[in-house]
Amino acid sequence: MSVLFPLYLAGLAALTLPLILHLVRRTPKGRKEFSSLMFLAPSPPRLTRRSRLDQILLLLLRLAALALLAFAFARPFLRQEATLSLANLPSRRVAILLDTSASMRRADLWQQAIKQVEQELSDLGPQDEVAFYTFSDRLQTLVGFADTNPTRQRGSDSESTLPPSGSSIPKTELVRQHLKDLRPTWNATDLGAALVAVAGELDAAGDALQSAAEPQLIAISDFQKGGRIEALQAYEWPSKVRLIAREIRPKQPTNAYAHLLTSESDEKGAELRVRVVNSEGSAGDQFFVHWADEKTANSRSQPAETAVYVPPGQSRVVKLPRPAERLLADRVLLRGDDHEFDNTHYVVPPRKQQVQLVYAGSDAADDAQGMQYYLQLATGGDPLRQVEFKPLAGDDAAVLRATPPPQLAVVTRAVSPALAAELKSFAERGGMVVLAPQDQAAAAAVPLLLDDVELLPAKAETENNQDKFLLLGEIDFSHPLFAPFAGPRYGDFTGIHFWRQRSLKLKEGASSHAVARFDDGQLAIVERTIGTGRALVFASGWNPDDSQLALSNKFVVLVSGILDRACGTTEQLAGAAVGQSVPLPAARRMAAIVNKPDGHDVKLPADAASFSETDQPGIYRANLAAEEARFAVNLAASESNTAPLEIDQLQQLGVRLSASLTRAQRLSEMRQKRDTELESQQKLWRWIIVGTLGVLVFETFWAGRAARQIQAAATAAQESAS
Amino acid sequence: MSRSKLSTMTASGSARQVRASFVDPAALMRIKNLQLRAKVVVEGFLSGLHRSPYHGFSVEFTEYREYSPGDDLRYLDWKLFARSDRYYLKRFEDETNLRCYLLVDLSKSMGFGSLDYNKAEYAKTAAATIAYFLSLQRDAVGLVTFDAAIKDYLPARFRPGHLHRLMLCLEQAPAGTGTDLAAPLEQIAKTARKRGLVVLLSDLLAPIGELETKLGYLRSRGHEVVVIRTLDPVEIDFPFDEAAMFHDLESGRELYVDPQLVRERYRQRFGEHRSALATVCSKLGIDLYELATNQPLELALFDLINARMRRGRQIARRQGPGRPSPARRTAAAGGAR
Repeated sequence: MSVLFPLYLAGLAALTLPLILHLVRRTPKGRKEFSSLMFLAPSPPRLTRRSRLDQILLLLLRLAALALLAFAFARPFLRQEATLSLANLPSRRVAILLDTSASMRRADLWQQAIKQVEQELSDLGPQDEVAFYTFSDRLQTLVGFADTNPTRQRGSDSESTLPPSGSSIPKTELVRQHLKDLRPTWNATDLGAALVAVAGELDAAGDALQSAAEPQLIAISDFQKGGRIEALQAYEWPSKVRLIAREIRPKQPTNAYAHLLTSESDEKGAELRVRVVNSEGSAGDQFFVHWADEKTANSRSQPAETAVYVPPGQSRVVKLPRPAERLLADRVLLRGDDHEFDNTHYVVPPRKQQVQLVYAGSDAADDAQGMQYYLQLATGGDPLRQVEFKPLAGDDAAVLRATPPPQLAVVTRAVSPALAAELKSFAERGGMVVLAPQDQAAAAAVPLLLDDVELLPAKAETENNQDKFLLLGEIDFSHPLFAPFAGPRYGDFTGIHFWRQRSLKLKEGASSHAVARFDDGQLAIVERTIGTGRALVFASGWNPDDSQLALSNKFVVLVSGILDRACGTTEQLAGAAVGQSVPLPAARRMAAIVNKPDGHDVKLPADAASFSETDQPGIYRANLAAEEARFAVNLAASESNTAPLEIDQLQQLGVRLSASLTRAQRLSEMRQKRDTELESQQKLWRWIIVGTLGVLVFETFWAGRAARQIQAAATAAQESAS
Repeated sequence: MSRSKLSTMTASGSARQVRASFVDPAALMRIKNLQLRAKVVVEGFLSGLHRSPYHGFSVEFTEYREYSPGDDLRYLDWKLFARSDRYYLKRFEDETNLRCYLLVDLSKSMGFGSLDYNKAEYAKTAAATIAYFLSLQRDAVGLVTFDAAIKDYLPARFRPGHLHRLMLCLEQAPAGTGTDLAAPLEQIAKTARKRGLVVLLSDLLAPIGELETKLGYLRSRGHEVVVIRTLDPVEIDFPFDEAAMFHDLESGRELYVDPQLVRERYRQRFGEHRSALATVCSKLGIDLYELATNQPLELALFDLINARMRRGRQIARRQGPGRPSPARRTAAAGGAR
């Protein structure tokens, strides 16, 4: 016989109570008056011969009633089956989901995770099925449920030390072998999507295999707040699948990261600012940031650092200009937290652009009345652009066909139709032609280049009248040339007088468009796309005789805009987070080789529009024919949010959690369930209660009988005394 | 009035058959009138004395003394000679005048009683009996009732109505609140200039040291002191069986006592106290008699007379017939039963 609640048997201790009451002399009820207590001393209560084991039967009956009551509460039952063993445990269908995101690189988390996987494998019973998945920003199945041949892998890395197909090894051994090759990645964490996918597979595997095994999802992760769980919101968790969350935590909690802020104005020379973010739960709040490059990143000499105080859970922005001796620094390093994995933020350093400018003009470079002089001045001050002027003499267009080809051709003099055709061809090949005719004769090239623009005859008064001037009245500020002047502070062109201009007119249906017009409505600047390049026509030159344009402070910006338009900006390709694709320049769609930070080269086909193998942070170099584009890949900011996630949040999103139990605990639980079922069938406690009542009835009868006997004896004694 | 043979048990357990038939105290105490009660006792005592084998032991001892050769035969009482066949000379009345002070303890402890009456009632009756007896002898009797303080005081007189007043005083005496022997004894010492007989009726349940001091005070004044210790039989034997909370009437204290455990010790301590008391009284020359409340009251008279007899013989030996001088007792005299 066994009992369901053995704790109630502690009630048997109450059996001592009637014994104590029965034997111990109670405080006498009698009170006697006496003359003096001077000869008396107090007596302790003690057993007397008379009270010891008097009425034994009554005592036994009361003890029996108490014992039966305690026994009834303990819910006894008759155990019919043999003892349960581990072999009787119901089988499980276990999916082990291992987090391989970048945050698992912290401290010894990865080692803990591997150990946890080993523990789960060792806890599997012989009837249990197992599958093994890893996840970061996407799920990867290493060993699936439906794999009938345990040796065949789906979606796993091909370079591993796994045995060849054909040899059968247990699934657990397969998982162990995968574990040896596994390493944490640099990717972000999408926990929700991984849980949804695996829970779905567990549920589907159960249906497919018609298995009664209990589905369990064991997720081994650091469960950081930066791990996205939105995918769970719209998902109905399968009713049978239980999640067992194995949380892994590092001992040191402090983690911070820094990233460069991109300014909106994007002005060159603008002060660089860095945001330092300290995650919740950090213990430290003092950090240091500095610029570094590949050579100085690991050097022992401490560079000038900027100290930042950031309380846990908050962020601070500090100015961090590149030091003069390290203008080409390509990374911001953070120091002061416990985990290094996110302490480097890569920034592509600016690089001097080599620009070849072909100048076709009749003025000398030092002629202050000419246009080349001001053009050279305007292009010379950009530290990030090296502009080389190449003269175009006569009709010799060889310079336009040079390799590498020039990016920009500026024509201010008259050109022959042959040269105009060469210029057109140059534009068609991707170059940019700027026509700024110094006179009407030079303006004859305009219709040759832009067949939809008509050159009107010159007006004598417009050519020679110095008192009358025109202003730029209508400007397309959405055009990249004038975009820097879009603000009201910079958009005032009324200070620039144009005395001489060529009259241009757009034909019907012209594809050329006006970028700016004078205040009398005449075209001032016209642009047209020709082939893969473009042509820009100025109706008025910037020499002092024509206008004040070269003398205004807006001229340099305009010229820079023209150079940007012709050569591409000095800014590099936009950076990306690890795992994201980087779009390649559309103008450079040709076979490219991308050099990754670890030194590997990736060849891209000519039609590749983007590069997707951004699996590690660092500076990537894309060799696009003659040009080299660089871009920085950094860790996703969410991955640095390492504060622990409340597991209850998963429950609120519908996930069914389960306590983690060892096999012995499960066996004990199963045994308890079996015993409870047996007891509820037998209900022996009812009969015991009936027995207790019977004992109490008999005890009442016997006690009454004994009391009557005592009373009768007392009465008889009294009568005989009197 | 029932007269029965009485067997009295002392603490030592020896039985003493009283040959005279005395009044049953329980029956006596049912008489409500104290004077009548006293009269019954005295008359019974006197009639018993006539049949007493103790020849020469006469209540009229104050009126006669034994003839010695050379005494004047004019005072010979021939009737007494005819009765007793002995020669006795009459005494003058003034020769027999005795001043007796009855000190009756009515403290709370005297309120205890295991019989139908308590010790106080018994002591009052004993005092009334002695007063009645002495008044028959034409002796002056005074009364002091006390507990923590003196309740009533009557000087020693022999006047018409004095006895009645004394009886009334005794009858009306209420139960006390405490005990203080010092006050009444001091009072006696102050007011009783002439030496006399002081009869103290008390249970003397107090520490020995106190008692010695206070009793010695009386003796220093030259009074004859007789102490009749009134005790309830259960106080002597402690015959209880059931454990109970015992409540001290005197102090109000309570004790849980198992008599079966403490009886022997009680008797031992009681005996020690009794012996010490006897020693003190003997040292002070005080006659101490113990009278349990279940013993006949005639014994009180018996004790009194016994004490007087011893003193009387001592006086008679020192003096011849004529005006006797007041009796003096030595410290060695006196006895306790």
